[in-house]
Amino acid sequence: MTTRWFISTILVCSMAIGMTGCKSWFSKKSSKSQGDLSDSGAIGALSPESVLPDRGQFADGKNVMAGQFETVRFAFDSAQVDDTERAKVEAVAEYAKANASTLVSLEGHCDERGSAEYNVSLGERRALAVRAYLMNLGIDGARIQTKSFGSESPKDPGHDENAWSINRRVEFVLIKQ
Amino acid sequence: MKSYLLLLLVSLGVSVLAQEDVVVTKAASTKSSLDLSGFTGSGPAYAVFRQTLEADLRRSGWFTFNRPATYVVGGSCSGESSLAVQCQVMDAVKSSPVLNQSYAGTAANAKRLAHKVSDDIIMAVKGFRGICSGRIVMVSNRTGKKELYVCDADGGNLRQLTSDKSISLSPQWTPSGTHIVYTSYRRGYPDAYLVDLASGARTCLANYPGMNMAGGVSPNGREVLLVLSRDGNPEVYIKPLAGGGLTRLTKTPRAGEASPAWSPDGSKIVYVSDLAGPGSPQLYIMDRSGNSRRLTSRGRENVAPDWGPNGWITYSSKRGGLYGVYMINPTTQEERAVSPSDTHYEEPAWASDGRHIVCTRREGRGSKIYLLDTMGDPPVCLTPNSGDWFSPAWCSQ
Repeated sequence: MTTRWFISTILVCSMAIGMTGCKSWFSKKSSKSQGDLSDSGAIGALSPESVLPDRGQFADGKNVMAGQFETVRFAFDSAQVDDTERAKVEAVAEYAKANASTLVSLEGHCDERGSAEYNVSLGERRALAVRAYLMNLGIDGARIQTKSFGSESPKDPGHDENAWSINRRVEFVLIKQ
Repeated sequence: MKSYLLLLLVSLGVSVLAQEDVVVTKAASTKSSLDLSGFTGSGPAYAVFRQTLEADLRRSGWFTFNRPATYVVGGSCSGESSLAVQCQVMDAVKSSPVLNQSYAGTAANAKRLAHKVSDDIIMAVKGFRGICSGRIVMVSNRTGKKELYVCDADGGNLRQLTSDKSISLSPQWTPSGTHIVYTSYRRGYPDAYLVDLASGARTCLANYPGMNMAGGVSPNGREVLLVLSRDGNPEVYIKPLAGGGLTRLTKTPRAGEASPAWSPDGSKIVYVSDLAGPGSPQLYIMDRSGNSRRLTSRGRENVAPDWGPNGWITYSSKRGGLYGVYMINPTTQEERAVSPSDTHYEEPAWASDGRHIVCTRREGRGSKIYLLDTMGDPPVCLTPNSGDWFSPAWCSQ
């Protein structure tokens, strides 16, 4: 009886510690990523370097690297590039540095919930956040365009949390000039 | 003593205001009884005319059909291919005519003719314009792609307007009802276009780098609101429809804007921004110089605003996981729920009477267009069973 009580106390305590630990780990991560990107002032800043490039040079291109680069995923209602997603952007930056004639088109998407019009803005801000990070990594903004599909082009046709998390994304389309 | 008098006057004033509000929300006291049984005719065109007339008057929300009625409709609809309509309305209490009008039309436009007569009856009995002659533009995926469709206020005379074979979004009327602005991906990017309803001719309004979302057309028909990201972030702009330079109204590097719409006098703009916090879009009001204030505070999401001719702004608000249609008075901040809470109601737009609202109602996986009544009549579905329907916008003519 006493032993059982002792064991369950230990279990509850360790669960509590585990949960607290998780929580602080998450909030630390997210505040760090926020700090990094906003320090550069690059996210959506209306500065000369943030102005988007003309579409012309992207028009006749095709996706030469389809499927090679992983889709960046986003938290619900967020346009923040999470720490867990950064390596995906860094891989594209590395490729773009090594292949100077390659252009990058960033396609932003949302899950199906909410206003269709607001979702186009949110999808655009997701693409712009990835663009800002690529520019932070040294890629010229003139080589990166954004295209938002809002909630109009889901990758997963489902209507549950899992489908929604897959659909909140930015896809890389790399274009060879 | 004086202050007591003042207090009395103030409280009287308040109770008068409050009473007016109650009158506005109670439907029964605003309805007049109408008797249509004396209106006659024969043939297929008459059947269409009569059915449309009666449905219009019922949907208008201004009438009961109990007998004996205060207002008695007489007259006839005759003819095969060309129609002659005579319509009289008698005030049975005063024994005086309130309407006596002749109309000519064709069998092919019997429905439009009935809409016109319905609005004339509403004007004669109630003293203001009905919505029966109105038209709705909306989006549907019934062909597999999202195209624009136009229909009458009752959902009739439905026709497909675009064949872009792409994605169409956010249609808005010009005030004259001759053109529609909308967003299309027909060239691969979200760009804003102006379409001539009669000819189908299309003008590109905005195809800048990034997103180009069409917003509301100004009440004088000269300017269009746009949400563009060309400067590096989604912001609200004004552009003259006749061509000319852009004026940027917002500068929110850390927030996104959407759905800008004009006030009825064209001096202000209501729009959506998530400036207050990521994931919590709210309504803001600004003047043409971009001076803005936050309007909504309740609800995690307040989106898709439309500023009505009555001064109230309708919008959809997420409360407890459900989107509902609400209306708010921007001066007093008074807020009312309009839609039932059985499912999601979104994307509201005012009908021209300032009483009704068209909106999107989500039914399971599908969605339809419904007419809501701010005075309590039950919602009415306006769209066919096939396809999903979205983003309605109202035109008075």
